[in-house]
Amino acid sequence: MSNYFNTLPLREKLNQLGVCDFMDSSEFLDDVNALKGEKLVIVGCGAQGLNQGLNLRDSGLNVSYTLRKEAIEGKRDSWKNATENNFTVGTYEELIPEADVVINLTPDKQHTAVVTAIMPLMKKGATLLYSHGFNIVEEGMQIRKDITVIMVAPKCPGSEVRAEYVRGFGVPTLIAVHPENDPEGKGLVQAKAYCVGTGGHRAGVLKSSFVAEVKSDLMGEQTILCGLLQTGSILSFDKMVEKGVDAGYASKLVQYGVEVITEALKQGGITAMMDRLSNVAKIKAFEISEELKTIMRPLFQKHQDDIMSGEFSRTMMEDWAAGDKNLLAWRAATGETAFEKTPAGNVKIGEQEYFDNALLMVAFIRAGVELAFETMVEAGIKPESAYYESLHETPLIANTIARKKLFEMNRVISDTAEYGCYLFDHACKPLLADFMKQVDTDLIGKNFNEGKDGSVDNRALIAVNEVIRSHQVETIGAELRKAMTAMKSIKTA
Amino acid sequence: MAQPIVHITNLNLKYHQKTVLQDLSWTIDRHENWLLRGISGSGKTSMAKAIAGLIKFQGDIEINFDAKSNLAPVVHYVANWYQFKDLEGQSNFYYQQRYNKQATETTATVRAELENYGKKHQLQFSEAEKLLTALGFSDLINATLIQLSSGEHKKLQLVCALWLKPQLLIIDQPYNGLDKLSRRHLNVLFEEITATGTQLILISNDKELPPCVHRFAALSGGQLIEISANEHMQEFDEEEESKPIPDFLKEAPVSSADSVVKMIGVNISYGEKQVLKNINWEVKAGEKWLLQGPNGSGKSTLLSLITGDHPQAYANNLYLFGHKRGSGESIWDIKKRIGLISPELHWYFDPLATVKQSIISGFFDSSGLFREADYTKKTQAAELIDYFGLTEYQDTLLNQLPLGKQRLAFLARTLIKNPELLILDEPCQGLDQQQTQYFNKLVDELCKNGTTLIYVGHFETQLPACIENRILLENGEVKSVGKILEPILK
Repeated sequence: MSNYFNTLPLREKLNQLGVCDFMDSSEFLDDVNALKGEKLVIVGCGAQGLNQGLNLRDSGLNVSYTLRKEAIEGKRDSWKNATENNFTVGTYEELIPEADVVINLTPDKQHTAVVTAIMPLMKKGATLLYSHGFNIVEEGMQIRKDITVIMVAPKCPGSEVRAEYVRGFGVPTLIAVHPENDPEGKGLVQAKAYCVGTGGHRAGVLKSSFVAEVKSDLMGEQTILCGLLQTGSILSFDKMVEKGVDAGYASKLVQYGVEVITEALKQGGITAMMDRLSNVAKIKAFEISEELKTIMRPLFQKHQDDIMSGEFSRTMMEDWAAGDKNLLAWRAATGETAFEKTPAGNVKIGEQEYFDNALLMVAFIRAGVELAFETMVEAGIKPESAYYESLHETPLIANTIARKKLFEMNRVISDTAEYGCYLFDHACKPLLADFMKQVDTDLIGKNFNEGKDGSVDNRALIAVNEVIRSHQVETIGAELRKAMTAMKSIKTA
Repeated sequence: MAQPIVHITNLNLKYHQKTVLQDLSWTIDRHENWLLRGISGSGKTSMAKAIAGLIKFQGDIEINFDAKSNLAPVVHYVANWYQFKDLEGQSNFYYQQRYNKQATETTATVRAELENYGKKHQLQFSEAEKLLTALGFSDLINATLIQLSSGEHKKLQLVCALWLKPQLLIIDQPYNGLDKLSRRHLNVLFEEITATGTQLILISNDKELPPCVHRFAALSGGQLIEISANEHMQEFDEEEESKPIPDFLKEAPVSSADSVVKMIGVNISYGEKQVLKNINWEVKAGEKWLLQGPNGSGKSTLLSLITGDHPQAYANNLYLFGHKRGSGESIWDIKKRIGLISPELHWYFDPLATVKQSIISGFFDSSGLFREADYTKKTQAAELIDYFGLTEYQDTLLNQLPLGKQRLAFLARTLIKNPELLILDEPCQGLDQQQTQYFNKLVDELCKNGTTLIYVGHFETQLPACIENRILLENGEVKSVGKILEPILK
């Protein structure tokens, strides 16, 4: 198997990277009809597997689960999840040959083994559905030519997929058809029907390609989503402790601050987040974030380049082969950081205080989101795709940090994201060493506005606002968020 | 003479810019226990919160604890609404999550919750156990909080309050959601706790009160007026004019099958615990049913099977509107035929929805409004909003209204599509007597057109007259089912 993307001529690379269509709700009028009466068999029953299956069944579709023999015999959690909710569960041999659509919701790392095992059992003309394109694009998995290969990827954790569905809404979803495997031309219709079945059609659907999904997803998770949140959290915490801020306070300010700050991001983009600061603080945060962008841009570009060339997935797969040597070592090291080991103090921090006392965090987030977005767009990824994989997902990841810090974030995200996160973090911290030397508690730990009279120069403020508001991530974001306005707000502690 | 425990002078209070209480004065002397009543929106809850120091007010509220008493020198307020949290301290739950086995393990058990509470307030666990037994709650000690029904949540709140033995205990709607026997047991507990020195303020329009409550007051027009026990037994005299029901609700709903619900040997269990056992029940089109049973007998679970909300419906022999469950229908196909109101739906409703949006969402069976409604739907909503007297609140966020008004909006949401099956699970919780009667008359009126009705209510004096059949559950089993031969009213 060789990297699929690298086998393509440049023209086709650009072509597939550029698939990006925000779909109109009228595209979903056929409801779930294209899958009605078909046998849907889901491989794996974790959070995504179970909750997607519950939704599909509640939409009137025929759903069952197939698990490895050992999972069934050992009555593992996946088996319990499925049987306790009264789904039929069977081995690959029992269920795959009957399936019209096989839905692969196992972890990335198992894809090659799983797909190799199930493909010979699949009937002629069946469909194979992925929720992430790594296996196809980076590992270059070849699927039998009679099989249709599609992707439906809800852009939220499994429990949200369920919670939004039962409310009568849904979560934003990305769909794609693999151009090498659409022999009957039914891929798109099936992907749309599946999307209706999980409720995704109400919250905004983006038609993408396997290639665009993988290249943007990897970039987003490594840089702004996980990598920079990790780097920013650790550096901010360490700085506060170094300057004598109470460790419990510092721990809480960072842990919950990322969530509170990015909630504003979710509601109204970078503009809304920056507007939560006073005028003086906003101008300062703008200046620092510009500086951060200059320092970090080469690192963001390197990550994007390695993702595009396949270098990233090559080295990561080497680590898989070595029994996750690097991943496990990095994971252990993260567990030993002072931030991770200091519990949040029992102090009350007001909602506004999370902004006023954490200007540096705001600057990190603006710099990270804009850099990730800009770098992706420069590499040929369309702005809509880049938005989903940068700004849109940041609050979702921040939410996991608020729950149980970096440990929780790295537990929830995929191993692929976790690997990329550490890779970024280790390169980013030294890069910011000089910058961090000039940071004091006015930027992180204490209220920036204290002792200032709050006056600003009109023209300076107007210029700053103009730059923030006219950024492409803001214009595209305003449009895409319209489709998601009804999404629940993430609760803060 | 000892100082009064509560002495209020010139209390002024606003709720969302509206004056609720005006220059109010009230004195509660030692050993007095009061009942406070009033129509929805009269300021009962605001008053209680002000006394408990939970909200801002103008004027003077003086609390004098008895220094010689060994009871906790605190004012403890039990809210009419309960929000629990998961193990991470968040209250981010979703509708019907409790029926999803995999998702129930994120909340604490009743035991853990009580142990924490006991530790925080330095209380003996054995004392709590007595209360649990008295309220018929002992079996639930290992259940997780999310698995509890609304009545069971109420009991947990009451156990905590009584266990604490505060000097002043204010309970907002103590009887809501409790079955008949529990209400009686609660009154016995009230007698006991007042005998040992705790003073009570009960906020309720109920008539079956413990003897220890001997003073009565009504809130009206921002003022507190003391009334006699006899006066309390009479209905409110503020007669609301009765309006004609909107025309679109007078049409007979389209009936899709002769048999609306049919259950054959239905069983539901969570691991070892069986919550419904061998249920056989048929509801034919046009029938009016009362579903009864003590708290925890399985009523909500039974209803969740009918509303398409229970995952285990697929493994049972269950027919809805003539179709076997799991034969290709979606839960939205089922829900569109049903008008539902339940405490659970209310709990998990979109906090960002206005009154108008909430009512319109009834057309789509969603817990919030997520799509555009057409002109006809908007017009019908406007008629119904006017009918329920909610016009002035229509653009207010639903959860900013007093509980009684929120319920009215939910009732409007339930009726708006003139459904063929009405499922009313304790629809009148939080309503005053007047509103309850008004609503039940409306249900009677609607049901004349052939609407099928399943009604859950613990207060037998507060049921619609049209009810003719009853199914009684006990411990997950059908205790009796059939025509009501004698009138159960009164």
